[in-house]
Amino acid sequence: MIPLLLISPLILLAALGAVWKARPVHAALLLALTLALVAVLYLTIGAEFIGLVQFMVYVGGVAILIVFALLITRPGDEAAELARRPRSLAVGLACVAPVLGLLLYAISKGLPAETTVEANPALPVQALGVELFENSVPAVLAVGVLLTAVLIGAALFARETGEASEPPASR
Amino acid sequence: MTPLPLLLTLSALLFVLGLFAVLSRRNAILVLVGIELMLNAANLNFIAFWRYGPPVADLTGPLFVLFSIAIAAAEAAVGLAIILMNFRRTRSTDLNRLDSLHG
Repeated sequence: MIPLLLISPLILLAALGAVWKARPVHAALLLALTLALVAVLYLTIGAEFIGLVQFMVYVGGVAILIVFALLITRPGDEAAELARRPRSLAVGLACVAPVLGLLLYAISKGLPAETTVEANPALPVQALGVELFENSVPAVLAVGVLLTAVLIGAALFARETGEASEPPASR
Repeated sequence: MTPLPLLLTLSALLFVLGLFAVLSRRNAILVLVGIELMLNAANLNFIAFWRYGPPVADLTGPLFVLFSIAIAAAEAAVGLAIILMNFRRTRSTDLNRLDSLHG
């Protein structure tokens, strides 16, 4: 419970930075920090395997992919981003506040009273492996097919084509 | 306060922050950042209910999170590839300039 109370504010601060920073690279690095802190949270509440997977896939893969994508694209117009801050804040808050209110209402009203029981046992990795590769084999195969399709599709999308040299002025 | 409402509140706030990024950012890559935050919030909910919810014997929560992480990685790869492809055409990642299908 104590680590939870320590890590939760850090996660929220990092996520706030990722959402609010005008510089894209800062936002992406703060996203990496947020994902790493969520992984630490998983480690402390007894889902160690999920925490490690989160570290490897999210922090090591997705966040770095986003940073690289930012590096090879041109940064956006920072001054314009800052200039439209007040309006985007107002519109964003107007759209997001009802969602937050609904979620918090559901959390405060919807939970059964007996959730204060002891925590369930921590994640047994061996049982997870058995579950994954004996009982959910079709799902694992489907994910394998999906990832192969994604690999081919992303390579097709991102490859250099002849029409790429078309000058932007001709638009 | 018991851990379950605390974790659910944390996840709700993370989700809302991600939604805010999706709605207010103009850079397509930063919209993807918001989507990743929202996916993480959903994963956190699965783990919270599995660990601190009513007692369960099976491992549906962690299993779902594993598949969700795999699919999130795939989504990020395809999303960034599409953004890069468009960047090569328009020299921009600004979502407001993605209007070539506009009637």
